[in-house]
Amino acid sequence: MSATPSPSGPVGPLLSVRDLGVTFRTPDGDVRAVDGVSFDLAEGRTLGIVGESGSGKSVTAKALMNLLPSYADVEGTITFDGRDVRALATARERHFWGVELTMVFQDPMTSLNPVKRIGEQIAECLRVHLGRSRRDASAAALDLLERVGIPEPRKRLRQYPHELSGGLRQRVVIAMALACGPRLLIADEPTTALDVTVQKHILDLLDDLRRERGMSMVLITHDLGVVKGRADDVMVMYGGRTMEHAASGPLFTAMRHPYTSALLETIPRIDAAAHARLVPIAGRPPNPSELGPWCPFAPRCGSRVEACTVEAPPLVDDGTGHRSACFAPLGAGEA
Amino acid sequence: MTEQLPPDRHPRQQRDAHLHVQDIESQTSVQGGYEAMLGGLSFDDSRGRRLGVTFWCAIGWMGLVLVAAVAAPWLPLADPDQTGFGGRLDPPSGDAWFGTDGNGRDVFSRTVWGARISLVVGFVAIVMGMAFGGTLGILAGYFRGTVDRLASFLMFALLAFPGLVLALLFIASLGPSLTVVSLTLGILAIAPVGRLARAATLLYAEREFVQAARVLGAGHGRIIVRELLPNVLVPMSGLALLGMAITVVAEGGLAFLGLSVADGFSWGKLIVMGAAPRTLRDGPWVAMFPIGAMFLTVLALNYAGDRLRWYLDVRELAFER
Amino acid sequence: MAGSGDAHLRDPGAFDDVVLRVENLVQEFPAGGTVGRLAGRRAVVHAVSDVSLDVRRGETLGVVGESGCGKSTTARAIVQMPRPTSGRVLLGPGTDDEVDLAATGGSALREVRPRLQMIFQDPISSLNPRRSVRDIVGEGLAVWSSASDGPHQEARVDEVLRAVGIDPAVAATRRAHQFSGGQCQRISIARAVVLDPEVLICDEPVSALDVSVQAQILNLLEDMKDRYGLTLVFISHDLSVVRNVSDRVAVMYLGKLCEVGDADAIYERPAHPYTRALLASAPEPAPSVDPSEAAVGDEVPSPIDPPSGCRFRTRCPRAVERCAVEEPVLRAVGDDHHVACHFPSLWPSS
Ligand SMILES: Nc1ncnc2c1ncn2[C@@H]1O[C@H](COP(=O)(O)OP(=O)(O)OP(=O)(O)O)[C@@H](O)[C@H]1O
Ligand SMILES: Nc1ncnc2c1ncn2[C@@H]1O[C@H](COP(=O)(O)OP(=O)(O)OP(=O)(O)O)[C@@H](O)[C@H]1O
Ligand code: SF4
Ligand SMILES: [Mg+2]
Ligand SMILES: [Mg+2]
Repeated sequence: MSATPSPSGPVGPLLSVRDLGVTFRTPDGDVRAVDGVSFDLAEGRTLGIVGESGSGKSVTAKALMNLLPSYADVEGTITFDGRDVRALATARERHFWGVELTMVFQDPMTSLNPVKRIGEQIAECLRVHLGRSRRDASAAALDLLERVGIPEPRKRLRQYPHELSGGLRQRVVIAMALACGPRLLIADEPTTALDVTVQKHILDLLDDLRRERGMSMVLITHDLGVVKGRADDVMVMYGGRTMEHAASGPLFTAMRHPYTSALLETIPRIDAAAHARLVPIAGRPPNPSELGPWCPFAPRCGSRVEACTVEAPPLVDDGTGHRSACFAPLGAGEA
Repeated sequence: MTEQLPPDRHPRQQRDAHLHVQDIESQTSVQGGYEAMLGGLSFDDSRGRRLGVTFWCAIGWMGLVLVAAVAAPWLPLADPDQTGFGGRLDPPSGDAWFGTDGNGRDVFSRTVWGARISLVVGFVAIVMGMAFGGTLGILAGYFRGTVDRLASFLMFALLAFPGLVLALLFIASLGPSLTVVSLTLGILAIAPVGRLARAATLLYAEREFVQAARVLGAGHGRIIVRELLPNVLVPMSGLALLGMAITVVAEGGLAFLGLSVADGFSWGKLIVMGAAPRTLRDGPWVAMFPIGAMFLTVLALNYAGDRLRWYLDVRELAFER
Repeated sequence: MAGSGDAHLRDPGAFDDVVLRVENLVQEFPAGGTVGRLAGRRAVVHAVSDVSLDVRRGETLGVVGESGCGKSTTARAIVQMPRPTSGRVLLGPGTDDEVDLAATGGSALREVRPRLQMIFQDPISSLNPRRSVRDIVGEGLAVWSSASDGPHQEARVDEVLRAVGIDPAVAATRRAHQFSGGQCQRISIARAVVLDPEVLICDEPVSALDVSVQAQILNLLEDMKDRYGLTLVFISHDLSVVRNVSDRVAVMYLGKLCEVGDADAIYERPAHPYTRALLASAPEPAPSVDPSEAAVGDEVPSPIDPPSGCRFRTRCPRAVERCAVEEPVLRAVGDDHHVACHFPSLWPSS
């Protein structure tokens, strides 16, 4: 894929990913989960990664966090603040995972130890990574809980994860992620398991924290609506590849990829009339074992042309940083 | 989206992996290409599931033992009770393959005949365990409530009662006949099998397909037979082999206590007789060959059972993520 | 919300086509937890407290609410699995074949079951992994038929399978795991409609599916409604999905109804603070509310010990003392628009 930098802010990118590829070597054959993903993320910005189930969003995130299992082959380069993170060898060098670069998962229980009090868990994080004293750490833990909007933080410090509701747990996880003052936070479907009212609070909280601390954020979701108005840039993935990547405005107003448009149209709208006929995308979400050197969306695409089934379209930049990978982009006819 | 991908370029034909092109595409075109794209492929059912050579070796061994045991009377074997077939404690030779015992009887012939009783005991016991334990467990897991409390009480009582004491009680009072020994071991098998069946049933009875059957108006009998039995008992057939292995060994244990079948002999009894100190010193083969036969059979049962359980375990996800 | 009352039920005199009416449904479970039991307290989960609903023929009633508010419990109580603690579930009220499911048992209950079918959330768990898909779809007919109508049955199964977009020939040999999630949900729909039910209860039928597949299933449900004249009770936590399918909407909170009425009224003129909070919290808030109205606390009280008076009062921005003392009862605020709140948003009647 072309390695054209994506839209980015005035400063150089904090995170820069080039031709990231991930192949799982499983007993049932190789699974190409991510293929040629490149993007830049500038300091203080939010990148939304959107796509259906199996499109490779989580694998991309895990590759950034170095969390992939050993049977995964990773290619490409990941540069964080000028350092090639995949080349880092020593434990000391790798220290920045969890400190400068942290992640929040969909299920808060995956990040929480069920048999340890909330307070201890946050404090431990601070002591291990930042070498704070015990007393310091627990004071900081209290501050953090307050900051993420947990009511009665003092009481919560002594509680166990199962005593909290899903929304509170996710706030605790966010508090832990923030404990070390990360520069980049990757949130993988942080609200998918939560109720709408809670979802909104958590997303707003993440937004506030990002602004307040000047963090960068990668917000992964399958819901375009979540990303709309929250992310500065949006990358749409399908079958492990980038379909379209642009600043949020142009992506929603002048989308070029048929998949982006199909994804947007397939979602029922809260302000539409009852019984409005939906526009489904035929078929089912991508399965990486059936991908090949053609456009992954071709079997389901309404604007497919001959070329789509022969080779994969390159990701082209239109000059404004709006990148899309399609042989028959939308709006091409009118131009 | 009606036209299909050019055939020579069909995505899935270029890969030799486990995915097939199922011809659903042409068959499902009820509503044109729209349906064609609806998952036109599926995994081969046997994908990644091979029972393997070792499994078939185990089955082969079990088959051999079974055939030998059943056909023993017609096989050109020495009479197992014929003393003086050879000398006292002759080592294995061309005539007496496994040697002879202290009374000059042919150990090979005795090992083959011994399989008859060992296998009958093992088989009867586990069939009883599966039949009664399985039924009890499924009823308990499906109906819950009072039925469950009763069945569980029964199973707990059986489990709590020391198996050995129970065996002593029965065999001492009813006499050590083949029937009594088999039934005693069968009763001991009920509780463990029942607990497992109950646990599996509890799991499946909660599932939506069972609820869906109730909503359709299916009666309890139908639900148990059509929805639960296949899911609970099929995986348990692997377990039956494991259970049989356990009972074969248990019967050997009883033999050591002098509680095994009085007339006739099983592997257990042969081992006990061969394990007398003098015999063991002068003719270790008398014990070793029945031990070997039992060991191999138990190993084969265990392995085959385990493998079978894994093989029959149902896959429910078309596309694992 | 804590709304009880049945002002929203439609007068059987004026509407003779109500096919399902649920009256004062209550479902309570003994609360687990050894501590409570040891202490001798008999704690009770008030999963559904006094909910009344009705559905007219051909109508789709959307039931919306957050996790744990009792949507599934209501659905299950309607199909008597388990039987509700109290309340009536009337099929065909006012007609000759009126039955109160909650007062029926044994084979009488089994016999009316085909009139009321259900679709579940998890498409994979809904299908027996050891039976062929065709067998699964034909099960309803097999339960209720005599041997003589075999060919007729086969034709019916084929017809329904085709209607949901599954090839009957393929279904004969395949089992559920060989189909994708969306196809499994199609199969569940086929199984439910094969008996020609009067009412189809869908408990989050698309929540486990990807958005693109979700649209296929929603469209399919609409088609099936037209084709087989179905009446739907459609449960979902997704406001946009409910908007798309419903003629009438009921909003639930902590086991009670907050607001019931015509779908347009609920979405365009939401009156209950909770409905408004939901609509404002959606990723793209509904235009009828201000996004700031999403600011209701996170903490849902426990159904073991629900708040007195209005159950929403602990999160409600408008709550006053009266809300803790007096339970609001559903009352009309517009044409087919009922709210259980002491201080609803009132709209100039259009
Ligand atoms: N550990 C693994 N081993 C083998 N394959 C894997 C592994 N993890 C992920 N995959 C495959 O990689 C593909 C991409 O997975 P990924 O988890 O990134 O999807 P996603 O976009 O996050 O989807 P979702 O919305 O369901 O979370 C999946 O189809 C999955 O089958
Ligand atoms: N069998 C049961 N025993 C005890 N409590 C139960 C039982 N079933 C449900 N509940 C409780 O009743 C309440 C309502 O549950 P229900 O499953 O109906 O919610 P729901 O609205 O369907 O939520 P969701 O969106 O998560 O499916 C919950 O608090 C739940 O814990
Ligand atoms: S205003 Fe009072 S009655 Fe109305 S929802 Fe709020 S708390 Fe309930
Ligand atoms: Mg993911
Ligand atoms: Mg539910």
